[in-house]
Amino acid sequence: MTATEEKRADTEVQAAGESVQPKPEQPNPGQPATMTMTLIQAVNEGMRGELRRDPRVLVFGEDVGARGGVFLATAGLQAEFGERRVFDTPLSEGAIVGAAVGMAVRGLRPIAEIQFADYIGPGFDQLTSQAAKLRYRSGGQFTCPLVIRTPSGGGVKGGHHHSQSPEAYYCHTPGLKVVMPSTPYDALGLLRAAVRGEDPVMFFEPKRLYRAAKGEVPTADYVVELGRAAVRQQGSDISLIGYGGVMPDLQKAAEALAAEGVSAEVIDLRSLVPWDRETVMASAAKTGRVVLVSEAPRIGNFMGEVASSIQEEVFDSLLAPVLQVAGFDTPYPYVQDRIYLPGAGRILNAAVKVLNY
Amino acid sequence: MLEAFPTQPFQVILEDGHLRPGATFDQTPAQLRELWQSMTLVREFDRKLVTLLRQGRTTFYAQASGMEATQIGIARGLRPGHDWVWGYYRDQGIALGLGLSLTDVVAQMVGSNNDLNKGRQMPHHSGSVASRFVSGSSSIASQVPPAVGMAMAQSYLGLDEVTVCTFGDGATSEGDWHAGINMAAVKNAPCLLICENNQWAISTPVERQTRSESIHIKAQAYGMPGYFVDGNDVLAVQQAVKELADGMRNGGGPALLECLTYRVGSHSNADADAEKNYRSREQVRGWTDRDPITRFEKFLALQGQEIGSQERADFVALIHRQIEGAVQQAESSGIPGWQSMLDDVYSDTPVHLRRSYEALRQEQSGQAMQVQEGA
Repeated sequence: MTATEEKRADTEVQAAGESVQPKPEQPNPGQPATMTMTLIQAVNEGMRGELRRDPRVLVFGEDVGARGGVFLATAGLQAEFGERRVFDTPLSEGAIVGAAVGMAVRGLRPIAEIQFADYIGPGFDQLTSQAAKLRYRSGGQFTCPLVIRTPSGGGVKGGHHHSQSPEAYYCHTPGLKVVMPSTPYDALGLLRAAVRGEDPVMFFEPKRLYRAAKGEVPTADYVVELGRAAVRQQGSDISLIGYGGVMPDLQKAAEALAAEGVSAEVIDLRSLVPWDRETVMASAAKTGRVVLVSEAPRIGNFMGEVASSIQEEVFDSLLAPVLQVAGFDTPYPYVQDRIYLPGAGRILNAAVKVLNY
Repeated sequence: MLEAFPTQPFQVILEDGHLRPGATFDQTPAQLRELWQSMTLVREFDRKLVTLLRQGRTTFYAQASGMEATQIGIARGLRPGHDWVWGYYRDQGIALGLGLSLTDVVAQMVGSNNDLNKGRQMPHHSGSVASRFVSGSSSIASQVPPAVGMAMAQSYLGLDEVTVCTFGDGATSEGDWHAGINMAAVKNAPCLLICENNQWAISTPVERQTRSESIHIKAQAYGMPGYFVDGNDVLAVQQAVKELADGMRNGGGPALLECLTYRVGSHSNADADAEKNYRSREQVRGWTDRDPITRFEKFLALQGQEIGSQERADFVALIHRQIEGAVQQAESSGIPGWQSMLDDVYSDTPVHLRRSYEALRQEQSGQAMQVQEGA
């Protein structure tokens, strides 16, 4: 974690303390201040902590019990908390999402796993007709705070039903909040914030970073507030903005640019709905050059909204058109997996194009 | 004890109003009169709202006429304000039966400032947290998995509440219906799933909805009991619902209950002449001859508790006055303006909605250019 990020982390704990009132665990004098963990360990730790903290929290989905989930996100949770709180469900996304809605209305805090984001389809109506609209349609009488966790994105040779990035569908549904962490720190902090919040949250986990993303995570309780981006690297010449699985590629592209004497600012949105306009606009106004990166297909890509907002708000500061690097408008391919994904090279080329405009 | 998977629907009152031999009931005369009044309220609500619709004072109406015994029987078989109901759009009878006031239901239909749901949905989507009647979605059968999840929560929390989920015969073809009922069975969730089988899904008759010999028989495949009652017999419905709900309070699992009834009216005003387009007048007449309120009146007369013609006329007039009062109250409370359009999307107001609010405020306060009519 960079110094900037650590500083930001401190502010986040304080800021979130006011809004969500987490119950910080008692400091343990023998405990180290941080632990190294992978992104999936952070997800696991996040659920474990919330299950311990709050008896209203339940974890369920397909194969999440004894198996611990196909990616082992829920490993050990059933053994610790029992089958009443961590359980397998029938193979039925509509039932999983729908059950989460009903539990939440009755006061529980469900964390439901959808095995792959590609399979949410049968639960789509539950998300868009029930979860997203319940608060609004009832004039705030009924609410359903819940978390749908699901692995998403490509890079694991999974073909199109284990690789897609469907987050934009949910960003397009008012009433849902949508996040996608790319670091263990954010995964843990965002998961806590999602569980402790009052809204339905789609929690997308970039599966190719599950074990690739490793980092230091504080052992003390903290949350990452939804709607706040992270500036991964400060820079002055160009802004590289992304989220999820592409973040390591943005860093690599920034390093390549640095070798050429170009100072790139790297921003991880982390949260798509709501998204951090303030941080993005400040960066775009500062550098005047922006590349937006997301591996989802280009048409209807969430970054289109970011691009549109940038040109509306800081048009006078722009020195070049805002470019998008995205997935292709094809079903996600199988053998060309790595060609399909944006990758550092494609990001670098876009950056050069913007810089030479 | 109700028998699972019967060949004939359970009845307490026979078609001619006589008590079925062997059947019993434990309502006091006052309670029986209340059942008649509640069913009559639902019937007259239909009549009055159709009139209001024709006057352009509401935009949409779907009658529940013919289904009063089913809906009032369900409401009276439960503990209002204690048990939860996830209903469907034609459930105004259940809403009224559970204790939503005429003002609550009418205000929702008008979409006025005194609507508990803030005018956010078209008519027929009442909801009241006090009555534990969940504001519904129009999406057919989408209430089934959430109702099951709620029952799972009640079971987890050790509550003696029951969740009832109602739906029509058409809903049983939806994926969510199967997903929900299967989850309920697997998790032994105390959810009472009730099919108000009125035999029509807009213009599609039940025999073109399923090849199954009945709706309740489907429960067998999911591993839960299926029950079948005469949905035009209010005492049968009430007894069945109460018995099943009480069984669930005492640790019982889910059940599917089919109430066989009939949609006497068209689907809605958007479908105003069903008999011209897709069903015969003979069929409708066959069911109006089996009217649930008439049957109950015959029963009351045979019990020595006849509804006199003056009593009926006075009660109907009273209801019409009350509905008219509720309509006037709704109309005089006004229609929500732009200020509340962006509320209740989330628990907080994210920056994008704050920006929208500001833009809308400027537009609505006349700061934006206007296009002149006819320009």
